[in-house]
Amino acid sequence: MRRTQIRAMLAGLTLGVGISVAVTAPALAQAKIQIGCTATSDCASAMVAVDEGLFKKHGLDVEMTPIAINSNIPAAILSNSIQVGGPTSTVFLQAVDGGLDLVAIAGASVMNPTSNTAIAAFVRNGITIKEPKDFIGKKVGAPGLNAFLHVLFVKWLVEKGVDPKSVNFVEVTFPTMADIIKSGGVDAVLTAEPFVTRMSNAGLGSVGARYGAELARTDPIIFYAASRDWAEKNAATVKRFREAIAEAAAIVNGDREKASASIAKFTKQPLELVKATPPNQSEPNLKPENLTWWIGVMSSQKMLQSKLDTAKLVLN
Amino acid sequence: MSLDRAKPLLLPLALMLAFELWARLTQLQSDSLAPPSAILAALATALADLSIPIATRDTLFAAFAGLAIGSAIGLSLGIAFGISHPLDRLMEVTVEAIRPIPSIALLPIALIALGFGYRMEIVIVAFACVWPMLIMTRSAVRSIEPRLMEVSRALRLSATQRIAKIVIPAALPRIFVAFRLSAGIALIVAVTVEIAINPIGLGAGIMLAQQALRADLMLAYLLWIGVIGYALNILLIAAQRRLFGRAALAGDNP
Repeated sequence: MRRTQIRAMLAGLTLGVGISVAVTAPALAQAKIQIGCTATSDCASAMVAVDEGLFKKHGLDVEMTPIAINSNIPAAILSNSIQVGGPTSTVFLQAVDGGLDLVAIAGASVMNPTSNTAIAAFVRNGITIKEPKDFIGKKVGAPGLNAFLHVLFVKWLVEKGVDPKSVNFVEVTFPTMADIIKSGGVDAVLTAEPFVTRMSNAGLGSVGARYGAELARTDPIIFYAASRDWAEKNAATVKRFREAIAEAAAIVNGDREKASASIAKFTKQPLELVKATPPNQSEPNLKPENLTWWIGVMSSQKMLQSKLDTAKLVLN
Repeated sequence: MSLDRAKPLLLPLALMLAFELWARLTQLQSDSLAPPSAILAALATALADLSIPIATRDTLFAAFAGLAIGSAIGLSLGIAFGISHPLDRLMEVTVEAIRPIPSIALLPIALIALGFGYRMEIVIVAFACVWPMLIMTRSAVRSIEPRLMEVSRALRLSATQRIAKIVIPAALPRIFVAFRLSAGIALIVAVTVEIAINPIGLGAGIMLAQQALRADLMLAYLLWIGVIGYALNILLIAAQRRLFGRAALAGDNP
């Protein structure tokens, strides 16, 4: 082999390394606020605030980042990849319990009669569920273990006098639910609209329990959280963020058309699909006592190690 | 194109046609499967609206940067360990303790330390690429004809001259095989990082399409990743032939 070719290769390698090191040098200081949310309607108020220019109106430069798995949000906030994130109550409380210094800065979505009815345990054909104890010994797919729907379902089982340990829980993500129910891989899935309607229409089974409606709670599902450090240093920004979110929440709750358009744009879901399901109720105000019920439920399910002080969890 | 060259395509084409027919006849309704025609349509749309080209750029940039850094580290360590037995023995426990860590297991730490974006992905890809390079380079350097080393000693070459004039040229064909292996690993790891955490690139595209219940688009991304992997391999094999045609042969028959 010719020496020039070796030289050229080595030079290429060195150049490659050089360029990569240059590009990977510490990121520039961020003026833009990144909001990280999963592809659900819970962060609809932020999506609408971006689309309708409400953040801009309040002098904020905001961009939304899609995040695949909700439980990654706390780490993303701490690494400053996103400044504000939309964790579920369970993810947030577990992260804080684990020692991450996060603080809630505004409310996003709360449970209400509409969203509670949208939650269901969908049972495959050939399985009949008449009462809660029929779930004993069944294989139930939850979109995330110890995540929102799973915690609610376990709470419901406990309230109905069924030992959750007698139910076999596995993880099944939303998009794969229909196929797994069809193939009989699980006996039931914990799901929500639009999946309930889609699976019912496809004749894959029936609703076994409306555990959301039976619990009939009004506690927060998802709220906007930031690192305490960032929130305290940017008090004015947080104030303007809250004002924009409050205006957007009114649109989410009052104008389905605008809300659906923004949700479809962010989640990339087909517009008809988004329109078929009412977005979760937006509630911009979050008070420390709103988290009390979750802390109680999670403590009873042994998901929290420490005693959390609600007053410290929400920024004044 | 002659019939002979078209033959290998017949089986996949027939399978796709069968799947298309089955999907249409059973009126397939699924959130994770889609008929080939819908996949191709989604692929065309995503190529046209530049979402796939941009994602491809992000993924390949992270994969190549990680590959370059990982290979450079693996190469230098491999040469050092190959030349110096004491150093190799000294580092053996350390290397063998770190090497089995799956690169993906570093994700949670990498996310907190580096945040989203290229940096995290490049670091994880580089970590995965170090090991095949290190181990194959080390063995390549070890198996260099001892007489060559004697010659270098007789010529009183300095250590750097010895590496540049004897070790690297003699071991290069095998080092390039390691590089090809690493390139495959780099692409796999880059896409995996994107699927798991990083919101850029082709992996993130798959996740977003899946969550948006666009099975056709998700499978279009998958198909595209296959095409890229195939093209990358062809490119590297061609490079290997061109650069080491005779040298590679000489390595096989000393």
